[in-house]
Amino acid sequence: MLAAPPKETPIAQAKSPPSTGRQLRRVNRRRRRGAAKGLAVTYLSLLVLIPLAALVTNAFNHGLGSFWRAVTQTESIDALRLTLVCAFIASAINAVAGLATAWVLVRDRFVGQGILNAIIDLPFALPTVVAGVIFYTLYGPLSPFHVDITGTWIGITVAIMFVTLPFTVRSVQPVLESLTFNAESAASTLGASPARVFRTITLPALMPALLTGTGLAFARAIGEYGSVVFISNNLPYRSEVASSYIYSLAVSDQTNSAASVAVALLVIALALLIIFNVTAQRLARNRA
Amino acid sequence: MSISLNGVTKYFGRDLVLDDVTDEVPQGSLTALLGPSGSGKSTLLRIIAGLEPLNEGHIELNGRDVTNVPARDRHIGFCFQDYAPFRQLSVADNVAYGLKVQRMPKAQIRQEVDDLLHLVRLEAFADRYPRQLSGGQRQRMALARALAIKPDVLLLDEPFAALDAQVRGELRGWVRSLQRELGITTILVTHDQAEAMEIADRLVILNEGRIEQVGTPDTMYDKPANDFVQGFLGPITTLNGVAYRPHDIELCAPDEGVAATVTDVIRLGFEVRVVVSDCNGTSSWVQLTHDEAQRLNLIVGEHVSLRVRMGAKKNRGPEIPEVFRIDGDEFTSSSDQEERTPFAKGSQR
Amino acid sequence: MRRSPVALRIAVLCYIGVLIGVPLIFVFQQAFIHGFGAFFRALRDQQMDHAILLTALVALVAVPLNVLFGVGASLWIVRHPSRFTRVLDTIIDVPLAISPIIVGLVLELVYAQGGWFGSLLAKLGWQIMFSFPGIVMASIFVSLPLVSRQVIPLLRELGDHQEQTASTLGASPLRIFFTITLRSITWATAYGVSLTLARVIGEYGAVLIVSGNIALVTQTLTLDIGANFENFNNYQGFVGAVLLAMASIVLLLILGVARHRERKRNEYLA
Repeated sequence: MLAAPPKETPIAQAKSPPSTGRQLRRVNRRRRRGAAKGLAVTYLSLLVLIPLAALVTNAFNHGLGSFWRAVTQTESIDALRLTLVCAFIASAINAVAGLATAWVLVRDRFVGQGILNAIIDLPFALPTVVAGVIFYTLYGPLSPFHVDITGTWIGITVAIMFVTLPFTVRSVQPVLESLTFNAESAASTLGASPARVFRTITLPALMPALLTGTGLAFARAIGEYGSVVFISNNLPYRSEVASSYIYSLAVSDQTNSAASVAVALLVIALALLIIFNVTAQRLARNRA
Repeated sequence: MSISLNGVTKYFGRDLVLDDVTDEVPQGSLTALLGPSGSGKSTLLRIIAGLEPLNEGHIELNGRDVTNVPARDRHIGFCFQDYAPFRQLSVADNVAYGLKVQRMPKAQIRQEVDDLLHLVRLEAFADRYPRQLSGGQRQRMALARALAIKPDVLLLDEPFAALDAQVRGELRGWVRSLQRELGITTILVTHDQAEAMEIADRLVILNEGRIEQVGTPDTMYDKPANDFVQGFLGPITTLNGVAYRPHDIELCAPDEGVAATVTDVIRLGFEVRVVVSDCNGTSSWVQLTHDEAQRLNLIVGEHVSLRVRMGAKKNRGPEIPEVFRIDGDEFTSSSDQEERTPFAKGSQR
Repeated sequence: MRRSPVALRIAVLCYIGVLIGVPLIFVFQQAFIHGFGAFFRALRDQQMDHAILLTALVALVAVPLNVLFGVGASLWIVRHPSRFTRVLDTIIDVPLAISPIIVGLVLELVYAQGGWFGSLLAKLGWQIMFSFPGIVMASIFVSLPLVSRQVIPLLRELGDHQEQTASTLGASPLRIFFTITLRSITWATAYGVSLTLARVIGEYGAVLIVSGNIALVTQTLTLDIGANFENFNNYQGFVGAVLLAMASIVLLLILGVARHRERKRNEYLA
């Protein structure tokens, strides 16, 4: 696709008409590279940028009022609130569980650790719909454990917990691996108890990565569909998450309403991602 | 506070890193643990601090057995090679850390921290973060942080290794005078023999997990117990198969010494290194002062004669076995002479 | 070495066991609940076979395109930085924050009848929505950044000293690219490819909208599984699910190898 970086051609030379074969080759290379860049931009535009522009246009093409009405419909508000609450609970639980998992993977030694390390990525690799049908069968009306959490926020939260588990683990793990024990040892020679060392030295060091991972998990959770749609039963006002609501609007040809709620959901997701990242960067700055 | 190590032995997996290390560090001394990398010196320091468990032996601080006491209860000040700054805390908070652990009242902490920052000349940097400090300043912050808890013992792991040459020189002198002033028993780990000789009043030379020799810098330099110590403490060269310090060999009139040919003359400021080759082709070198070199005006290819300088300290060799005695060592207690000899524990060759 | 408390280890193992281990075992148990014979008969289901074929075809087109784009864009962003590439660096990650349902929706808004390009496409006679190209586009969208997110940080860390050394030794740019650049990012790319493949064959929400979910025409394997559950045909659904689960386990193994190789390389660098 793109050629490896050759030395930049001096401008004067590039501007003069190509005379030698060497210069000709260089100019051709620049043209090829230019074409590749153009192709990349076109690819990105056709797939991502133009469709997103169309989304925003559709959300607002009947005016701000209609956008606002679509977003503040009771069904929409309920769906957005349920999504945020479940996403928040799931990512909060996974922040703690993910930290603990990363800790055990890095600081502990036991048989089967390799398997644990490998299995953490399963939610990344397993199709969401497979997770969805498994959780629906495990904790639905046919549950072998006689636990039916379909149509409740608990069911939705469990599905989201599964899907977002690797985010925190995989963001904290490398940072924990790169930490030397020296700061922790120094704190303990100064008389600090293990719990205090963790709270005052280790946790602050892991905080930026933990926040970044949780932010990613949160953003993912807000838009989750495949794993949630079965266990949630999609009962409007009760167990319908935002993505389900957008889907039902889209398939019933209420395109503008769908676009409006989608824009609202996107803005929330991006805002959360930015807040988490900015906070993480601010925390990390002191540690440079 | 004195430190005594009795038969300290440590394995990493199956590798023996410390082999039966026994030593008595007197109150108020500044001891340098000296050895090449991998000799186990840092591990020994960490064991003394309680940061590393040991497999055999025990450690006493002022006669109290602390072998199984965790690091946080040993009351030892430890400075890491990378200074291990608490990055998210300001310089003042770094220094205050140990005092906060002790639940000292806030006002008193502030006073103590001010005093310590004054001591290490970092008053102006109290509110900065470690990343805003230079290497030397970080090192002084780490020292203040360790001293804050008024430790009985100060342990410094390669304290100057990460600094550039000039800062290193200044800090060495400063640490030495600070140690004198506070009178705190200090152990410092270094792989740099010049640094150890300059700063310490007592050297412990470690090699492959064993103590090779213990003594004052002077004794060790002049009467090294073996080839390893001799080679480690300063440059050596050979003349007729015997090892000498290069400054103990002089150039003399023909027929008075060993004939040789000059192969290179290297000027190193005040010192001039003359590389020579004898008739067998064996290479050795002689250290001359700048003046001497100028007077002789040596050129490559010139034929010279070498001999041992008059009054030079005789070197270790079969004919001078007395060097095994480490008397005149001010820290040698007469009662445990047996313990003090480097080869006492079955490492006799 | 500091040890973590045993209680923590047990708690983590329980959490992962319940959240990941139990579902994984469950899907296999359900798929083989009627024995191997029934399982292999279920594999010959016409709808499912068509769905598998479609998923494979989609992956065959979408994954190479995204790898090409991911590696190329990474090189561009890292090696020829400009104000433009900084923008590119940011928007390339945007698809990860977008719900798959929204991905499907935005593609529909542009490429469906009545969408921005709807009439143009109709005039050309190109059908994108509710057909193969739409499914490919949705798959590409959702997996767009997965390669570059692996490759960009690695390229930044490596710097271009190796390339410069090679060019002082007289190597041509093409030779440098294949012998130095490509080789140093091989495992990071492999990691990205596995993630991309996993995402492409597992995508549900976006594909659900753009495909129209027509059995034997635009139904991918994930859609087929969903449809089976909606029609209370749970067993057939689990057979499909176990196929996808096995595929993801294989991908996990590849991911594990890729990460291991990456780490080895890092150790070597250190």
